[in-house]
Amino acid sequence: MTKITKLMATALAAGIFTVGAAQAADLSWMGYSYAEDSAKPSVDRIIDGFTTKTGLTVEPIGTAFGDMQKTMFLRARSKTLPDVAQISERWLPMFSTLPGLVDYNEVFGKDYLAQTYAPEALAMGQFNGKQYALPLMSGSIGMVANQAVLTQAGITELPKTVEEFKADLIKVRDTVPNSVPYAMATKNNSDILVDFLMWVYNFGGHVIEPSGKVVVDSDASRQALTFLVDLMNERLVAPEIGRPDARRLVGQSAAAFYLDAPQSRAFLRSFSGQDKAFDVNVKPMQVPVVHEGDEAVSIQWAHLIISFAQSNPPTEKDPNMQFVKYLGDDAVQTQFPVEQSALPGTISARANPVVADDAYLTAWAQNNAHPQVNEVGTWNNGGELTEILAEEVQAALLGQKTPDEAITSMSQRMAASMTKAGFAQ
Amino acid sequence: MTDLAPPGGRRLDYPVSPHARRGGLQAAQRRIGMLMLLPAATAFVLIILYPFAQALGLSMFEDTLQTIEPIFVGLDNFREVLSNPDTWQSFLLTAIYVGTATAGTLVLGLGWALILNQPFRGRGAIRALTLLPWVVPSTVSAFIWAWIFNSRFGVINGMLLELGLIDVPQAWLSTPEGAMVAVVLTRIWRSIPLFMAFFLAGLQNVDGEQLDAARVDGANNFAILRDHILPHLRPVLIVVVVLGVIGGLQDFDTIYALTGGGPVRATAVLSIEVYRKAFEQWDIGMASAIGVLWVATLLPPAYFYLRLLVKGR
Repeated sequence: MTKITKLMATALAAGIFTVGAAQAADLSWMGYSYAEDSAKPSVDRIIDGFTTKTGLTVEPIGTAFGDMQKTMFLRARSKTLPDVAQISERWLPMFSTLPGLVDYNEVFGKDYLAQTYAPEALAMGQFNGKQYALPLMSGSIGMVANQAVLTQAGITELPKTVEEFKADLIKVRDTVPNSVPYAMATKNNSDILVDFLMWVYNFGGHVIEPSGKVVVDSDASRQALTFLVDLMNERLVAPEIGRPDARRLVGQSAAAFYLDAPQSRAFLRSFSGQDKAFDVNVKPMQVPVVHEGDEAVSIQWAHLIISFAQSNPPTEKDPNMQFVKYLGDDAVQTQFPVEQSALPGTISARANPVVADDAYLTAWAQNNAHPQVNEVGTWNNGGELTEILAEEVQAALLGQKTPDEAITSMSQRMAASMTKAGFAQ
Repeated sequence: MTDLAPPGGRRLDYPVSPHARRGGLQAAQRRIGMLMLLPAATAFVLIILYPFAQALGLSMFEDTLQTIEPIFVGLDNFREVLSNPDTWQSFLLTAIYVGTATAGTLVLGLGWALILNQPFRGRGAIRALTLLPWVVPSTVSAFIWAWIFNSRFGVINGMLLELGLIDVPQAWLSTPEGAMVAVVLTRIWRSIPLFMAFFLAGLQNVDGEQLDAARVDGANNFAILRDHILPHLRPVLIVVVVLGVIGGLQDFDTIYALTGGGPVRATAVLSIEVYRKAFEQWDIGMASAIGVLWVATLLPPAYFYLRLLVKGR
């Protein structure tokens, strides 16, 4: 190679590295909202607002919700964790062992956080006495009805009890062609887990106690599973339905009821193709209770923000800490959660008329006033527990086992898993 | 002038390059050969050998979310895996999947090759179109077949309802048998082009005069296939069966995209089991142990295939 050619190659390489260095962002933010068409524009606005305010740049990394845990785990092994990440509240115990996870109490102070964030939302980000996460938005998983389908089926009131619920499902099946009356999740382990948990709680049962003892082997669990199997046998629910499929069915008015987080409105706007015009059909409701007068159930739900230290120790001046603090500003909290049809995590944003006057969010909060913990997803071996539960529920729904056999087997297998994880049964 | 005599050797009368090395032409050719192999060998070491060695090592550690640092446990992972009924079920499902997919592809691939070996108008275009399933990415194939089998919008249900053969849509992918049939059919559909190409190549060397003589003697088509064509294709048959078995044992993406290993583990072959342990249960040690056993099942057909290649049969 001639000397001139070598010189040009060196200059080119230096130029590439310089440009590359200049373009590296100040922090990276990995989240599933950025991978969703309905939420991506909102995330872009947040990033633009932060950059305008601080001059710091953010590299957004979109990862689908279903791949988020796997991606975080792989990045932890390859030491390429992002600076900030969006997680679901039930994953926090699992991620609490990741190296470099920031305790926000040590950066912002307990008092500041208590003054800024709603207490129950703040509590979802705590584990083992540390504040490992802050709420980006919160709410609960509850039931949603499609008013257009109900009207077509001649249903004038939302069902309050399981008997009324089943009767309404039969009406929908018989009057709305090619419909799935209740778009229950019967596919994908994590989706089946949420739906089954909801009905177990509804029938008065539990799955795992806070001590780690498996208690799913109960009459309540058997009644819940028998109820769901009956729905399947009468074609009131369908196989091969995951949460995304359920959203599409409801958005296309091919299903009357399903379980989802308050983000349901944002999804249904998108899948119906009618945008905000579809809002009139989206009805938050209480999960029908077993006996009239029972307290309605729901499951905790939140999107949390975790961070990995950029300096040792992490300080408020770190770019990622500045970004986390920005996510708690009213500018974000009255925009992003509301666009996603969820409750903000901060006290001031919840009091803002934009949020307080939103009838949908108000109705959601009223119908799901006492959300319960996801008793399965919070454990380190939650993946295995979820797989066991989903397999046994599916086996019962598909007629391979009786509900009794499925619950017995589920209990034994989950107990073995918890014992292996170090929890006495 | 430079002394052209090599040290200890006789003086040469012809010019020798000052860059010439010892060892002569053969040694030089060997060095060039090694240099040519170096990129492939490097890629093999980095992409195949190193990850395998790492997996082999990890299989002897307890490495889960609860163990911040992996703990050496020796062969405990293998003991646990081999004493788990789910593992044996995965072995059985793998055998069913590989066996039925290979047999189905063999029969259909050979039949299609025999048809495409006949002269007819448009034969060239149909031969080219036959390669399409092979060209389509495996996950795309899986999604196509998932829609075909879909209980609400699938073509199969649509046709059967139209013909009056069923009253209500069937959830094909929600039964163990239906799910296994779906993944096997998808595998067969994807593999037919390859098998067909091998058989077609083999059929080009069949002596047409021999077949004509057999027909003159009164042999029917089945007799000609049995007594003349199949014996001639025996070497090809062995190769495609071995390749089919290896390909089936390696398959992951088609099954995962189509059924995810379900319903209720009905299609949880070894590759799916490795994925589940690693990325759904976060148990890297156990996943590696199952992976090592999976490689062990691949070794016999792979060795057999290599022997065939080396011996030239």
